[in-house]
Amino acid sequence: MKKQWLGLTVLSGLLVLGACNTELESDAQEENGEKTESSTEEVEAEENDVVDEVFVEAGNPAASPELALNRGNTVVVGLQEPGGVFTPHFNTSGYDGNVQSVMFPPLVDINPQGEPIPRLAEDWEISEDGKTYTYFLREGLKFDDGTDLTAKDVAFTITLLHDPSYGGGTDITEAQVVGGLEYKEGDAEDISGIRVVDDRTIEIEVEEPNARSLTMLGGQVLSEAYYGANYEKGDIDYLSDLHLKPLGAGPFRFDEYNPGQHIRYVANEYYYAGKPSVDTFIYRTTEGDSQQFFQTGELDYSAFPANRDNYELLESMEFANINVYNSSNYSYIAFNNESEVFEDPLVRQAFIHGLDRETIIAAHYQGFAEVANVPVAPTSWAYTDEIEAPTYDPELAKELLEEAGWEEGSNGIREKDGERLRVYYYTSAGGLGDTLIPIAQENYSEIGIDLQVEQMDFNALLARVDAGDHDLASFSTTMQPDPHVGVQAFHSTHTGATFRGYENDDVDRLIEASVGTNDQDERIEAYHELYQALQDDPPMILLNYNKVLSGTNARVDGFEPNGVRGITPSLEHLEVVDVTP
Amino acid sequence: MGRYILKRLAYLIPTLIGASILIFFLYSLVPGNFIDGDPNLTAERKAELYALYGFDQPTIVRYFIWMGNLLTGDLGFSLQFQRPVTEVLNNYIWSSFIVAFASLFLTWAIAVVVGVISATKQYSLYDAVITILVFAAMATPSFFLGLIVIKYFAVDLGWFPAGGMTTTGADYTGWEHVKDVLEHMILPVLVLTMLGIGGLTRYFRTNMLEVVKQDFVRTARAKGLKERVVIYKHALRNALLPAITLFSFELPALFSGAIITEQIFNWPGIGAIYMQAFTVRDYTLLMGFTMFIAVLTVISNLIADILYGLADPRVRVK
Repeated sequence: MKKQWLGLTVLSGLLVLGACNTELESDAQEENGEKTESSTEEVEAEENDVVDEVFVEAGNPAASPELALNRGNTVVVGLQEPGGVFTPHFNTSGYDGNVQSVMFPPLVDINPQGEPIPRLAEDWEISEDGKTYTYFLREGLKFDDGTDLTAKDVAFTITLLHDPSYGGGTDITEAQVVGGLEYKEGDAEDISGIRVVDDRTIEIEVEEPNARSLTMLGGQVLSEAYYGANYEKGDIDYLSDLHLKPLGAGPFRFDEYNPGQHIRYVANEYYYAGKPSVDTFIYRTTEGDSQQFFQTGELDYSAFPANRDNYELLESMEFANINVYNSSNYSYIAFNNESEVFEDPLVRQAFIHGLDRETIIAAHYQGFAEVANVPVAPTSWAYTDEIEAPTYDPELAKELLEEAGWEEGSNGIREKDGERLRVYYYTSAGGLGDTLIPIAQENYSEIGIDLQVEQMDFNALLARVDAGDHDLASFSTTMQPDPHVGVQAFHSTHTGATFRGYENDDVDRLIEASVGTNDQDERIEAYHELYQALQDDPPMILLNYNKVLSGTNARVDGFEPNGVRGITPSLEHLEVVDVTP
Repeated sequence: MGRYILKRLAYLIPTLIGASILIFFLYSLVPGNFIDGDPNLTAERKAELYALYGFDQPTIVRYFIWMGNLLTGDLGFSLQFQRPVTEVLNNYIWSSFIVAFASLFLTWAIAVVVGVISATKQYSLYDAVITILVFAAMATPSFFLGLIVIKYFAVDLGWFPAGGMTTTGADYTGWEHVKDVLEHMILPVLVLTMLGIGGLTRYFRTNMLEVVKQDFVRTARAKGLKERVVIYKHALRNALLPAITLFSFELPALFSGAIITEQIFNWPGIGAIYMQAFTVRDYTLLMGFTMFIAVLTVISNLIADILYGLADPRVRVK
């Protein structure tokens, strides 16, 4: 799996990770002036309503700063400082993932809705029983040094991920390739489930069908001749010398990395879809806010924290094309399901009904986020609006608490068996928490809950939650290429950090059903049932779906960021246009 | 003098051991570690990675492994960059150095001049205005000052670049490149100088005032020397003497980076990297860098002692 960086509370919005429905966007583009203007008015008129996905064209592209106009056929985009590990599957920083994605397209990519689409593989086949995946590579694929990219390279990549000394973040064992464990933990010399049929065909057999295997096995490809020249099972340290000299097969080829300053790529003439129109693409590294760099023309594209102020700022820069689109992640407050208080689902429901999420999210995001109703973003094929988000209803919350045995006690705080209803809420500093905390404390004290809050940095938050010190803790998911990512933590056997102790047999069964087939209709059905089950026995308080706001200097055409792949799919289509009057 | 230096050198060893213990164990008390930072990892994968990176070892064992590597000059392997810490430091420290050096030079030059003038014109209008200005500059938080200068000088007026070290995509070489970097340096150096100037100005002013009251200055005046000669030849030299030590203490600051200012100006320096390393808990980098600064601090202390000993024979320890 490609691991791109998280929309983790503090950082979210600053990242160059987008989210939007590409179709909607191109519609807006085609319908020029009128439609565009009316959506602008809409944005301004309805202060408290949720902003739609919009694309607003720049009012006066010629107003672009000279710095940008003089840059010529080079496009610059901002990125947080990467770690400098540009070999796919080996990076620990998500920003390295962004750097890699320019050079390393996967075999099978996904579209903005999360459905698989052909990339290096022109087609694929999944056997009836869902246990054999066959990938058919495009004709004449080449790495960016001109050497052939064949099925052998795919086999090498998957084998490497099974190496006992592999320490990267890709957990390939989830795909359960036949013979994979024998290679990883035993003496096997190769993985029996991988069969290279011919140069353009590879067949991979797995133990159990898994909806995620198609993209997991059909991921980014490493050249065997380059990355595997010295490969011996159990010793992959030699690879670290290659981390700064990546060899890919994407639209752009790596040219130069200047730590703290930029990563420069040049157009790759061997790219299967043809050499891109832009000669040079640059990721300029920026720490934190990059607004001033966009404003002065140093960046051609930048994502901004989505809120009204930034939207208006972009509008005031007349050279900016503005995009507002849905991110594929969601934010939530996790219950500590091991905590006694939350044993009873009624109490958890009371905590949900007792929190005025509408007000909090409207106040904080000024219309640039909406209350989540199911644990998957509206961009996904698995989303449904049939399951409604629980409403803010303090009276109902009080009833639920009474029913669960929490009686009104002295000075308004509820008690049960002499125990006061006091819960500890951990959240990272800054971001939504700043708005949420005062409102939540008031909401909860109204229904007799004493909410104690502690803010800390993200790593400390994870460590404290891992130790089980919390009752409630705030998180945001990573971008979700597959709806499974949003629910896997609710399975009783899952051992991730943020959720523990949640057990529900129905939920377990439905999660297994939703991921255990490659049939999308079957999966949709299972997900909708699952989302209902999760609402009845909630493991968390769903907060919001995020929107991302991005600006493009009108001198560059073709940026169509989406919620699962950011700007990566757009890069090969970029074009520098003449905006001087 | 030779024995004095040897003795000071011998003091270094326990100091550095103490520093290493403090650095290591304080960092090991910080909650969270590099691997925990990925909330999607399963417990099994986490255990595998813990073993790979050695986090499964007891703290005390890890300390001695770290210490052993330090003695061979190996600062460790950055988890985040997957490169040796020394290489990472080398990548970023020099850009911090040039900014720190420029601002150090300016700070001292301006502070000496301003401090001396306000001392000689004590309680004048000039003294009052300068005092207010330097205190205001010193009291303004760096992030605020930084953002204000970016807003006015970079965004509104467009005189200077808003940040970074070079113009992205321009590919200047030679003199053009130097000019480009200098242009990018102006704002961060301005901010650092404004922040640093306050304290030093006051220091020189006070020193000067004290010296001016001393007998040898009165003698100089009594024998009919011009006021200018009295102040700049006799008084100033003596007022600058204690500054030798102060200057030595500034040495580590040349390499330690300015966390906030670098962050704001997007300067590719070690301060910004340190902050980033902290958010992801890249302990090897954090500890390696802190240890490096500790060594520099101790060395500059030593230099200060020696210089002071040279300048003022009375402090030489027998």
